[in-house]
Amino acid sequence: MAQTQLAILLTSAALIIIGLYSAIFIDNIIKKIIGISFIEEGANLFIVAIGYKAGGVVPILMPGMDTSWFAANAAYPLPFGLVLTSIVIGASTLAVMLALVMVLYRRYGTLSTKVMLADTSKQEEYNE
Amino acid sequence: MNELIPLMVIVPLMAALLISAFSKLNKVTKIFAFVVAICLPLIPLLSNYGLHYFGGYEPMLDNVTGIMYHPAITYSFTFLQQIIICAVGLLTFLVIFIYLTKYKKVSGPYLFLLFLGTAAVTAMILTDDIFHMFVFFEILALAQVGIVAASSIDFSYEMALKYMILGSIGSPIMLLGIGFLLALTGSVNVTDIALAVHTGLIDATSPVFLLSLALIFFGWLYASGLPPFHTIKSGIYSKAEPHGAALLQSFTVVSMISIVIIMFRIYSSLPIFEVLVVFFSILAMILGVSLALTQTDFRRMIGFLAVGELGFIGLGIGLGTNFSITAGLFQALNEIIITALLFIGFGAVVHATNEVDTRKLGGILAYHPKVSIMLLIGGLAMAGVPPLSGFQSKLMLVQASLSCGFPEISILAIMVSIATFVVFVKTYYTMFLKPKPNDLDLEGKEVPKSMVFAMGVLLIIIILLGIFPDVVTSGISNFVGGIL
Amino acid sequence: MKLYDQIFDVVKQFRKLFSPGPVTNADVSGSITAEIFLIVSLVLSAILLRHVNVLLAGLVTLIVAILLISNIPLIPKFKIEQEDSLEKMIFYAVLVLALLVTFMYWGGNLV
Repeated sequence: MAQTQLAILLTSAALIIIGLYSAIFIDNIIKKIIGISFIEEGANLFIVAIGYKAGGVVPILMPGMDTSWFAANAAYPLPFGLVLTSIVIGASTLAVMLALVMVLYRRYGTLSTKVMLADTSKQEEYNE
Repeated sequence: MNELIPLMVIVPLMAALLISAFSKLNKVTKIFAFVVAICLPLIPLLSNYGLHYFGGYEPMLDNVTGIMYHPAITYSFTFLQQIIICAVGLLTFLVIFIYLTKYKKVSGPYLFLLFLGTAAVTAMILTDDIFHMFVFFEILALAQVGIVAASSIDFSYEMALKYMILGSIGSPIMLLGIGFLLALTGSVNVTDIALAVHTGLIDATSPVFLLSLALIFFGWLYASGLPPFHTIKSGIYSKAEPHGAALLQSFTVVSMISIVIIMFRIYSSLPIFEVLVVFFSILAMILGVSLALTQTDFRRMIGFLAVGELGFIGLGIGLGTNFSITAGLFQALNEIIITALLFIGFGAVVHATNEVDTRKLGGILAYHPKVSIMLLIGGLAMAGVPPLSGFQSKLMLVQASLSCGFPEISILAIMVSIATFVVFVKTYYTMFLKPKPNDLDLEGKEVPKSMVFAMGVLLIIIILLGIFPDVVTSGISNFVGGIL
Repeated sequence: MKLYDQIFDVVKQFRKLFSPGPVTNADVSGSITAEIFLIVSLVLSAILLRHVNVLLAGLVTLIVAILLISNIPLIPKFKIEQEDSLEKMIFYAVLVLALLVTFMYWGGNLV
């Protein structure tokens, strides 16, 4: 079933492109962060798709299984392990970003990136 | 005693967790942080060179193909790792010492971030596993953001959020590149991947392999702050507390060299890799120094200079010979120490004057002669004036590019050094030598003794490395011979 | 004469670069140094193309030199493109990513 894998790969490509698009063109900071986290999800999905094996079994060696049959049919476990770690990191990054947005929203009263994250070097350089 | 190798990561990591858990006990936290910080530079000095396999999984020999596989996460500890970890550990110790003496009541979370960052870069330079490196790269990004956000400087939250948003574009792209490598080779161990590439198991000219280079390279640009990320990198340096910035730049340098060494081991057979590295390094040098010349905020100026100096490291790696890579890595070591000295020194000026605009400063030399002289020597070392350490590494780089047949790059490197010198002389004149403005009050404001002590220690290392560069370069040269 | 006026005009334009706040001698001389440094170093790095093709290198160097010198002052333009706003940072980051991926996928073997 290579079609399943192809569908997953196309989805991940679509997610990454949507993420890059929203990083440039969306002004609302929360929406922008949601969009950017799509990139992370796309990369995770891609790595999951690598481990896909048509008709494969869960890579856990149960008692009574024939080892050579297992080696031929089990899915590749490494990508799943990696993705698990990567998801945890992505979640913590997202949490820190949203926490910073909360603090900045209280200060500026707006969620617009143009206002909140504009060029600040002029304002701070020479304040009498 | 190879048991000490994982301890280099575990000790700061555990210290970070314990300190944040018991941060209510002020005195205990202080003593504990101080003791751990002393241990950090000592552990790599005591440890023997060697490999450490986590979980004890030794490499396996595939009897059919005759290829060695590395199932465990492997830490390899050689002279380069020893010297870099020792430098970062010493810097962490000095920064924590400055922090502990500056504040009566210490903040547990801030110490947590400092130790976490140190643990992350130590793991990055030690590891032989590309995904393991990515994980610690992300942890490092979180620690860096925390250090910036914890400072009391205006607009530090904004800068931290900008860095984080750019990071969440850069890191997943790098993860995607690692995914491509995993799909091609089925492994995340760098030795296995490099072997597969060099023995021809992977077609090195296939577009997928080239694409993985492009994606990991983009992540490297973000990690090291080369263009297009030079503005944000200099921005976070200027928004962190000065001692934090001194540590942040060392994190940047170490993550830069650890990623580029891994990329070099995998992609060195592709000529395009070296072209890319040299291209972005030259761009960083030109943009970093020319922007530093126009800054009026001196913290931002040092930030741009630090980014410009990173170009020299990239140049050394990109030229791709044993001598040039040795020069690049030696420059990395020098930059960790010199830039830290400059950040701490200018931080002392901020502490004494409460002012960051060069136009409102002047005449500090008469009030703080010790800091001024040490800063002068540090700046000269960065510009590459003999007999200081920056001179030795830059001379090696110029010689390396001449012997590779690129005299233009030599001229460019010398020009960038001169421009760095101009930046420094201009700033030094406006801050220390020109008459003091009337509304600037300098009376009775002391520079903390711990800052002077830290600058003195770093200065001694700069002078020693400048006089005896062979102590370091011969060892680095052996390491480079191993990866070529 | 036109070029002379243009160079003289550069100093006036630097005043805007440092506003608000006074413009000191050191800042202006630093900016002029940056201007010259930028032109010379970009022209110098264009010469590196001679390792690909000598004729191309000569042509590109000439074009770059003429373009840069006729467009002084460059530093204000450069600084506006590299300011701290997130929009410009992300724009350039994504642009570089797109160029890298495109160039490597279709042209990575040309070098």
